Formats: sequence, C-alpha cells, structure tokens
Amino acid sequence: MKITVSINLGGYSFNIDEDAYAELKMYLRNLELHFAGEESSSEILADIETRMAELFRAKLTGYKQVINIGDVHETISVLGTPEDISDNEGTPTREKFSSPGYHRMYRDPDHRIIGGVCSGMGAYWNIDPLIVRIIFIALAFGGGLGILVYLILYIVIPEAKTTAQKIEMKGEPVNIHNIKDSVKKEFNTVRKKMKF
Amino acid sequence: MDLENTKAQMRKGILEYCILSVLSRNSCYASDIIKELKEAEVIVVEGTLYPLLTRQKNAGLLSYRWEESQQGPPRKYYELTTDGRSHLADLDKSWKELVESVNRIRTR
Repeated sequence: MKITVSINLGGYSFNIDEDAYAELKMYLRNLELHFAGEESSSEILADIETRMAELFRAKLTGYKQVINIGDVHETISVLGTPEDISDNEGTPTREKFSSPGYHRMYRDPDHRIIGGVCSGMGAYWNIDPLIVRIIFIALAFGGGLGILVYLILYIVIPEAKTTAQKIEMKGEPVNIHNIKDSVKKEFNTVRKKMKF
Repeated sequence: MDLENTKAQMRKGILEYCILSVLSRNSCYASDIIKELKEAEVIVVEGTLYPLLTRQKNAGLLSYRWEESQQGPPRKYYELTTDGRSHLADLDKSWKELVESVNRIRTR
C-alpha cells in the first residue's frame, strides 16, 4: 500500500504516489532555479508544466490511474534536467544566484520553542540554541531584561520562510545543491510527521 | 576539444532557426513543434524548446493566442509576427551562405 497525493499540474488533476511526488517537486524546484535569472521565467515553467501534464496523461489508462515514480523518471528524461537543457543550449551550467557565505540572521521556525529567535541565533553562530536559551532565561530572571530583548529581536529579525533563507541563515552558499539537500530534508520531516 | 560541446553549439543556433521555419508554414501548438523537431532530430530534450519560444516571443518574433481544446485546458498557439518573418528571411539567406561556405572548404 502506498499513500498518494493529489496535484494540479497544468490545469489537470493527478493522483501521484508520494515518492513520485517528492521527485517531481524537486525537479520542478530545480527548473525554477535554473530559469530564475530569465525574463518571464514563470511563463517558461508554466509551459513545461503543461507539457508534463500531457505526458502524464498519456501514461494513464482505465486500469492505471496513479502516476508512479517510473512515470516521473521517464517524463524527466524526455523533458531533460536543468543540466541537459543547458548542455543542449550550449551554455555551461551556471550556479544560479550563489552568494557564497551570504549570511543573515533569521528566526528559525523549524526548531522554535516560542518565536524561533534563539534557534535562529543558534543556527547563525552555529552553536547549540540551548546555550542561547539559557542566556535569555538568565537575563529574564535578572530584572526582566531578557524578555524585553527577546521581544525586540522577535520584531526586528525576519522569519526564514523560503528554503534559500534557511540556507542563508546557516551561512552556506545558496546554490542548487544546497537547495536540493534542504528540500529533501524538509520532505523527510513532513513524511515522518505524517506517519505518526 | 569536447565533441559533445561542439555539437551542442552547432545545434543551438540551428534550433532557433528551425522553430521559426516550422512556424512559417502555419501556427502551431508547442507539442506539434516538438514533434517535428524530434522527428528531424534537432532537439534532444524537450525542455530546451520552452525557454527559446519565450525568448523569441519576448523579442517580438512570435506571438501566441489561446485556443480552446476539446481534450483539456486551452492551448497556446504560436505564430510568426511580421518581424519574425523578416528575421526568418535573413536566417534563410545566411543558412544558405553558411552551407555553401562549408561545402567549399570541405570539397577543396
């Protein structure tokens, strides 16, 4: 037995296996990054999604109603990975908007206890957020300063919402490989949560 | 020298020319263009076509209209603009010159 996900691709609705969905999502995310610098990149992506929907529909019959991982792999090989597409265009694969070491402080919503301020600081300095939390609690008992500082930081520091921001928070360069890794991690956490 | 890279460079210029040529006959749905390019073996992965179409459209060589389809959502039909036609005429000319030049060298 497998869990399926229902998606809307190019105006058609599909039932797709969970693992196939993860693969598809990663592929589309990579394409999005590949075309990020391009004028009307969203239009290119929409066109590709439409074509993908067409290829998927050709794979479904009265007996086969779910898109599986094999279908996704075949479709990707027909459409081409970002690397194939740039090879075909004759332009070398560029690392898109890789800002090496671009390092910003964000609030980390994935590991937060209250507002993600301490976990964000922990990720920024690469220390255990527990240490930051202990300092804040100590300050809070010493005249309530900790609470005030926390509130100010909560307002001032933005939350890391996108994958790119979460990578920036840790000071790693934002490029296709890191994003791929984080998306995989995100997906695995979601899957674990769903199992319980 | 990297053979694959040289081949890719050759295909790149030709592909844009081929798209315009396909569209010079009649307006087409993207999948029809793909079918023709695949049969002629000038395209390897389909994903290459879409950025090119959008770039040519942004450059004013192509335009598109939405057409209802019986099998699903409306489809984008591409056609050449007047600019596109004169662009294609230029490319036709330089293609002929190119073939002649290369042949002259090869048969010397």
